[in-house]
Amino acid sequence: MLATRWRTRISLILFAVIPLLLATLSGIASTTGSTAAQDDALVLGLDISDTRTLDPHRQFDYSPPITEHAIYETLVTMEPGDYENVTPLLATSWELADDGAAWVFHLRPDVKFVSGNPMTAEDVKFSFERLVNLKDNPASLAENLKSTEVVDANTVKLVMNDKAQPLLNILISPNFAIVDSKTVQEQGGTSAAGADTADTATAWLDAHSAGTGPYQLDSWDRNSQIVLTANPNYWRAPASYPRVVLRHMSDSAAQLLALQRGDIDAALNLTPEQLDSVASDTNIKIEKGTSLDFIYVTLTSNAEQSEPLSNTAARQAVAAAIDYDGIIDGFLGGNATRPPTFIPVGLAGITPELTAEIGYHQDTEKAKQLLADAGLADGFSFDLYYANASVVGVSYQNIVQKIQADLAGVGITVNLMPTDQTQLITEYRAGHLPSVITFWNPDAPEPCLWASASVERVATRVGWTPPDSLLNTVTEACGSSDEAKRNELYGEYQRELVDLANYIILAQPIYRVATRTSISDYQLTAAGWQVNLYDIKPAS
Amino acid sequence: MMGRYMLARAIGTVLMAVAVTLPTFLIIHLVPADPVQAQLGDLASADPEIVQAFRARWGLDRPVWEQYVIFLNGLAHGDLGISIATRRAVLDDIRDYAPATFELATAAAFLAVLVGLPLGVLAAIKRDTWIDHLARVVSLIGLSTPTFWLAFIVLALFYGGLKIAPSPGQLDPGAVPPERVTGLFLVDSLLVGDLETFRSALAHLILPASVLAASIIGIITRTTRAGMLEALNQDYIRVAHAKGLPSHTVVLRHALRNALIPVLTLGGLAYAQLLSGAVMTETIFSWPGLGRYAFESAVALDFPAILGITLLVALIYLIINLLVDLSYAIIDPRVARQ
Amino acid sequence: MSAVDVTRPRLGRQRYRFSLRRYILPALGIAIITAWCVVMVVAPSFATNPLTDVNVRERLRPPSSQHLFGTDELGRDVFGRVMMGARVTLPVGFIVVVLGGVIGVIYGGVAAYAGHRIEEAMMRIADLVLSFPALILAMAIATALGIGITNAIIAMVIVWWPQYARLSRSLVLTQRQQEYVHAAQAAGCRPMRTLFRHIFPNTLGSLVVLLTLDIGTAIITFAGLSFLGLGVRPPAAEWGSMVAAGRLLIDQWWVSGFPGLAIFTVVVAFNFVGDGIRDWLDPRFQ
Repeated sequence: MLATRWRTRISLILFAVIPLLLATLSGIASTTGSTAAQDDALVLGLDISDTRTLDPHRQFDYSPPITEHAIYETLVTMEPGDYENVTPLLATSWELADDGAAWVFHLRPDVKFVSGNPMTAEDVKFSFERLVNLKDNPASLAENLKSTEVVDANTVKLVMNDKAQPLLNILISPNFAIVDSKTVQEQGGTSAAGADTADTATAWLDAHSAGTGPYQLDSWDRNSQIVLTANPNYWRAPASYPRVVLRHMSDSAAQLLALQRGDIDAALNLTPEQLDSVASDTNIKIEKGTSLDFIYVTLTSNAEQSEPLSNTAARQAVAAAIDYDGIIDGFLGGNATRPPTFIPVGLAGITPELTAEIGYHQDTEKAKQLLADAGLADGFSFDLYYANASVVGVSYQNIVQKIQADLAGVGITVNLMPTDQTQLITEYRAGHLPSVITFWNPDAPEPCLWASASVERVATRVGWTPPDSLLNTVTEACGSSDEAKRNELYGEYQRELVDLANYIILAQPIYRVATRTSISDYQLTAAGWQVNLYDIKPAS
Repeated sequence: MMGRYMLARAIGTVLMAVAVTLPTFLIIHLVPADPVQAQLGDLASADPEIVQAFRARWGLDRPVWEQYVIFLNGLAHGDLGISIATRRAVLDDIRDYAPATFELATAAAFLAVLVGLPLGVLAAIKRDTWIDHLARVVSLIGLSTPTFWLAFIVLALFYGGLKIAPSPGQLDPGAVPPERVTGLFLVDSLLVGDLETFRSALAHLILPASVLAASIIGIITRTTRAGMLEALNQDYIRVAHAKGLPSHTVVLRHALRNALIPVLTLGGLAYAQLLSGAVMTETIFSWPGLGRYAFESAVALDFPAILGITLLVALIYLIINLLVDLSYAIIDPRVARQ
Repeated sequence: MSAVDVTRPRLGRQRYRFSLRRYILPALGIAIITAWCVVMVVAPSFATNPLTDVNVRERLRPPSSQHLFGTDELGRDVFGRVMMGARVTLPVGFIVVVLGGVIGVIYGGVAAYAGHRIEEAMMRIADLVLSFPALILAMAIATALGIGITNAIIAMVIVWWPQYARLSRSLVLTQRQQEYVHAAQAAGCRPMRTLFRHIFPNTLGSLVVLLTLDIGTAIITFAGLSFLGLGVRPPAAEWGSMVAAGRLLIDQWWVSGFPGLAIFTVVVAFNFVGDGIRDWLDPRFQ
């Protein structure tokens, strides 16, 4: 009896212990090998789940540009920190032609694609026409591009539709990638009209690259990783790493652990609190870069959406009641700046000083006065819609609760309306929502894009019809080549928008990436591709 | 007789799985959102030509009933449509993500049964002793703790703290996955004899599988315990003891067998649920599985993907429940169909 | 102690049934639930206004004498919010499980007793509801019926009952062949009477145990619906949402830790009570 009882017990216990042992052993065995294999690769940990395609003329999401910028190149680019001037890349010089209606670019000689084919003006023409004719997401960026003409093998002319509209700054976008026309055509690509149905090269481009960049695409395992290898034909000094791995890690807490373990060299999605917790780790440093993105709240002018909000004084009261510093200091640890209105700090001569001068700041007395003068002394209520998402590690839910509390202090009741993301976007773009909190992420660092959006498509969403005078100001600013004059016009534009209070910019984040001290020159850029992978090198 | 029953059940399963797509389809269209337009960037969405072209591509400009007919037609040809979010064939997406979930779910179920079943038996035999209390409380931890908590704590402990577990993900960063035959890393690596990758894949599988197992161990343990207690009360147990059979035979052969019915029912349901994907575990362990895909599709109202997943999940539940029902007959002939 | 003793306790039958040792855990469970019920009643007088309590400069402070459970991501007192959260979370978890359970158990039991084609059809319908995408259903309900707690409960109950149906069916199937059922039928009992009066009480023990297992899951699922507008909307306090909100705050463990602990105590309490009910109903001692 005793023996059988013990036998049962032992066998039962063993059943539980053996798998645990196996697990531990295989874990140890595996990890001892892993770090060695990684030594030669640069590994970034980030969320790449929004990567749907790596075809440069189709992608329009947040994470693909990091890769695209490393495997393809554009005619011109911008250095991190300077978003006003373009610098040479595949083009060495450029000038205006045809009385300012066209740009002529002189291409860099002796540049080869990964295939070995030389880069010529034909490839530029092919690439830009493909971008336009695929009629996919980014095609609208080339709105002002009427045609691309080959002048000679190393010269290309871009004719604009409207010489008063910008083009140059937009060309830095990774969507204007120059691809190897021969290779892409071999894979079923076409740049002719009708490409939106005829082109079949995208599947190939999702697994291979046809660019001139310092790296080439080795593989893309969806929701797992993107692997790049150095391009042996690169026209500049070879890349510092033979391999780059963009490792999908959807959870920021997991990124934190992996960074501390050294399994990744940089974690791109850490929350402010998580960044604080690694601040004391001597193996980790934090790189910062001011973005051109911002978090903003819209307030409608449409009385059907919200009777009280259609009153300008009510909107101004809302703008005066929000504790902006509390949001930036409290949630972002002070890592944000704030523009007066719809053009970010760093462009068009806009500085935080300007915000202090003409922008919003919290003044609860003024808010109450505005309400009283508007006949809303008892306050009013409105619905604020938001999605379950976070931006720069701060959830919208936190920000809106803070706004709700701030506005309650002056008698305004905010009803928080959490909504499914897709519903929110649909309803917001259709102009059905009285108030929304959302995020603006630039297509390219060109002030005209923000300004025109704010008085055109975004204005319709808030039920606002801008006066012709304002529209003219914006058009003039967009077409002006005199920087001082342009900035002055944008100044006028901003004052008017601030006064109308349809858009309240809450914060323009300073992105922070935590990296291991074993890598250096991780420079964040706000130009659209987050970081120049080429520049990163092992720390000496 | 059995064969006919199986065939009828199999056909019924397929038909029912398709049937569930209709209410799903209708309900999706109830929600006021334009999933195609929402996937376009801000700039593109303002261009009516682009929006129209995209909507036409997914048939959103047709009446609702026609869209469903198109879906059924595609289904008859084995085409589940194109996902609005990923722009790929839904079948390709599912083929990419299903194996990872299958591996994870099966490993988790295996672990849960391996630990939970003996624990439940032990708790029933040593009823009201410290073992019983311990087993009950331990099993409750998995059930009352949100999975994302458990996942993170396990990751922080074994990966971050003790440093004995590998990084989140199916393989190490930069590692090349084995050549795809089934899509199951464990199987594929063995098929080509790549033991290095096999060990790595197994090591990466242990933590997320354990987390998922922990969440269902409670069910297995307590159901086993409850079932065992019921069974041990029965007269035939006394008879067995009176006959002089050794106690472990009585426990395992007679009592456990009869206790298994509810365990199989709930265990089957739990397994089916795991097979449908586990969002939070997949998120924290960067496991490219169906749970994440299903969740993102739902949020994006990506109806081709949602319909494809619903179809798959329906098939999973129907098949698992069919297997469980069949096993009842094997285990307890009294419940065999008349 | 030989194995035979397992089935026959040392004390006399009557005395064992009422012994303290057997019911100490259920008693503890009842005590915990009662305590939470008291909290539900007195909470409003302790808790602060979630709007005026917001103080971002005092956010994420660890537990102290001022804030027993620390402050959350908006600077609000976690202790007060945990107390207020009980008023929503407890009833919701309980209602969903009880409603879903009652509907499912009766459905499954009837199906099993009816047998043949009816059982087949009923079980297939249950299978289909199981495989229906719950999130989409929740979204549709939010659209059709509006936001709020009641509609969240409706959405959850619709998704919850099939598993109990399957369980109940499997249990009734095993009971259906028992002697006492044949006896009841021979005595002329109508089917419904047999089912409810004779079969269900014998399966109730297991069912109660398993129902109580689900309360934790129900609470967490309820929190998961809040992002669609179903359930509580901010700034209302609710344990599941509080746990979810503090998910990424690793160092600030108290933000999700205390509400999570609250959920744990409730789940444990209900489980102990469930076990107690099961033991009480144990047919050995009828």
